[in-house]
Amino acid sequence: MRALILFIGLSLSTTVFASEDTWKFEHAEQQKLFTQLNQELRCPRCQNQSIGGSDAPVAKDMQRKTYQLIMQGKDRDEIVAFMKQRYGDFVHYQPPLTPLTLFLWIAPFCVVLIGGGMLLKKNKPQSVASDDVEKARRLLEGEQ
Amino acid sequence: MRSKWMLILPLVAFLSLSVFLFSGLFSEASYTNQSLVARPLPTLQLSDVMDPAKAYTVDDFKGRVTLLNVWGVWCITCDVELPFLTELSQQGVRIVGLYVPLNTDADFGIKPLAQIQQEITAKVARLGNPYEFNMFDAQRDYSLDLGVTGAPETFLIDKQGVIRLHHIGDVNPQNWQAKFAALYQELLAQ
Repeated sequence: MRALILFIGLSLSTTVFASEDTWKFEHAEQQKLFTQLNQELRCPRCQNQSIGGSDAPVAKDMQRKTYQLIMQGKDRDEIVAFMKQRYGDFVHYQPPLTPLTLFLWIAPFCVVLIGGGMLLKKNKPQSVASDDVEKARRLLEGEQ
Repeated sequence: MRSKWMLILPLVAFLSLSVFLFSGLFSEASYTNQSLVARPLPTLQLSDVMDPAKAYTVDDFKGRVTLLNVWGVWCITCDVELPFLTELSQQGVRIVGLYVPLNTDADFGIKPLAQIQQEITAKVARLGNPYEFNMFDAQRDYSLDLGVTGAPETFLIDKQGVIRLHHIGDVNPQNWQAKFAALYQELLAQ
C-alpha cells in the first residue's frame, strides 16, 4: 500500500518537474533571472498575462528568446531593451516615465500629500475669534 | 466662501474619478505598435519555403513598395484574407509572404518541410496565391524581430526597405481603404 502511494506520488511529481525542466541553466542566477523575466515581460497578444503565464505562440517564442539571451550572457536590462525594441513599452510591466505616464507615478504621492495635509489641519486646535466667544456667551445668557 | 469650496471639491473629485473609471470600463487595453513603425526592416537571411536553395535579404525589398504578409496554413483568419490579398496582387500590389509554421503540433511534433510545402500548395490553389515568394521563418525568430504577435499581420514597406505600417489582423477592403490605400499610393509616388 505504501509502495503504491509512493509510486503515485513520484509519478505525479515527475510530470510537474518535466514541464519546468525544459529549460536547462548553468547556474541558479540564470534560472532566477529567467523566472523574473517570465513574470516581468508581458504577452503582447493576450491581455493581462505575462509571457510565463500564457500559452500563446508569441509568448512561447519570447520565452525561448529570453532563454537564448540569458544563455548568451545578457543581463536583465539588455533583455528588456531587446523586447521593448521589438514590441514597445507595452511589453514590460513597469511603465517608463513619459509625459503620458507621469500621472501614474505622481498620483500616489499627491494623494499622500493631500491626505497628510488634511490630517495636520484637522489636528490643529481650533482658534476661535474672541469676539465670537463673547457673542456666544451673550446669546446664551440672553436665553436664560 | 472657503467652506463652500470645501463642500464642492470632494464632489468634483468624486465625479471626475467616476468619469475616469467609467470610461476605463470601455477602453480596450490591447496591444498597439504605433511606436515601432518607421524603422528599417531588421536584417534578414531567410530561405524560400518552396525552394530552400533560394535565399532572400533586405535587398529584395529595396526599390519597390511591398506588403509583407505574415501567415500560415494553420491560421484561420489568414484563409479569410487570402482572396482579398490575391485581388490586390492582381491589381499590381507586390505581396511577399513570411511563412510561419506552428511547430507545436501536439500529435506529430515538427512537420517536415515537404508536408508544409504540400499544405501551402493546396491552400493557395483553393483560395488564391497573392505571393511573389514566401520566406520561411522556421524558428519564428524573424517574426520576433519584426514584433509580430501572431498571424495574420501585414507590414507596408517602402522603397527604401523601411516599415511604414504594421497591421495586426486580416486585411480586408474596409481597412485597406481606411488604413493602407492612401499611404500605399503616397509611397508608390516617392
